[in-house]
Amino acid sequence: MSEQAISQQEIDAVFPKVAQIIADALGCDVDDVKPKVPLIEGLDAESIDFLDLVFRLERGFGVKIPRGKIVEDARGPLPEAEFENKGIVTDAGLARLKEFLTEVPAERFKTPLKAADVPRLFTPETFCKVVIRAQRAAQATA
Amino acid sequence: MSERFRAFSFVDRITFSAGGRIEGHYTVPATATRFPASLMAEAVGQLAAWSAMAQLDFAFRPVAGLAAESRYRRIAGPGQMLMLEADIARCDPEAVAYSGRALIDGRVALELIDCVGPMLPMEEFDAPDAVRADFDTLRTTGAAPGRFLGVPAPQIEVQEHAAGERLRATLQVPREGTPYFGDHFPRRPVFPGTLLLDALAGLAVRLAREAMPGPAADALMPTQVGNVKIRSFTTPGTMLELEIDLLQTTEDRAHLKLAARNDGKTIATARMDVGHLEDAQA
Repeated sequence: MSEQAISQQEIDAVFPKVAQIIADALGCDVDDVKPKVPLIEGLDAESIDFLDLVFRLERGFGVKIPRGKIVEDARGPLPEAEFENKGIVTDAGLARLKEFLTEVPAERFKTPLKAADVPRLFTPETFCKVVIRAQRAAQATA
Repeated sequence: MSERFRAFSFVDRITFSAGGRIEGHYTVPATATRFPASLMAEAVGQLAAWSAMAQLDFAFRPVAGLAAESRYRRIAGPGQMLMLEADIARCDPEAVAYSGRALIDGRVALELIDCVGPMLPMEEFDAPDAVRADFDTLRTTGAAPGRFLGVPAPQIEVQEHAAGERLRATLQVPREGTPYFGDHFPRRPVFPGTLLLDALAGLAVRLAREAMPGPAADALMPTQVGNVKIRSFTTPGTMLELEIDLLQTTEDRAHLKLAARNDGKTIATARMDVGHLEDAQA
């Protein structure tokens, strides 16, 4: 079943709280947390920050975000073998990522793209969508 | 004598383990030369780690990562027994999330709230079979008491000091061969995050006492540590830069921002309240 598109209105509704959580996790000014700023290159986030962020979002929004869920969602219906080959995202994988990460400008999808570098693409808006999907999942099982 | 399972191990026995709950105890050796308060947090963290490692069949082990909040109420002294308990909220090959407590004589000495330890392959740090055998020991006979001998006081040199406002200092991490590195960890010595916090806490208390002078200043202690984030490993012999800034004082406490850097790169951050322990006289 295909996912219902996430509207800008939904993103705008959660963004202020997500931005504050990101600012708290990274120790930066909330005004620097723009929806489309890259978290790693733009806000100096590291892998431990992503872990921190996921747990803070879970607590802040009262949702569950299963481990590996973000990359799994990014891969979508593509089997892992079709998404990446020897650690490099395939053309099909890249097309899927561009479709999924609409908040990321096209010029940031460099090729070859290592699968391990996919989180480098993530922005605050990526995490807004993560929260919205988690909220939808919670409502669906309620 | 091998320092493994001795020099930096703070669980003597596991008394209960089921359904994400684990309980145990640890007695501070009467002969220990130094047992800083942060080692109570280490003990609770190690108890949670035992549960997490067992759940993942000792293929992974957690390392220090995040602690949303630690509340200190009492300090453990030589010969005192800490009753330890932890509740594992989540555990998978990426991370373990837990909260826990340490109690002394039935009264809460420390609460750890919303801690997260990133998981790494056990093989990098220790022999999985040996760790499994240690877990069996803790669940059955218990480990021999009195194994821990104490840790040396942090070697700190103040570089810049604005009384009651800020401190900049260096911390010389002990060299390899210091006993606790043989246990933390046997295959990959790493400076424990709790000892880094101990060094930072000492400077934080110094600033707080300057900002809150008076007859009770000597009794000021860290009461709450929040937003702890350990970003990377520190190897033996490293020289770290420590930064402590006093942000605010109220009638009964000082609020401080702490950071540690290695060659300019931030490797740890935290917030700390310094005040009077709720249960100091107990």
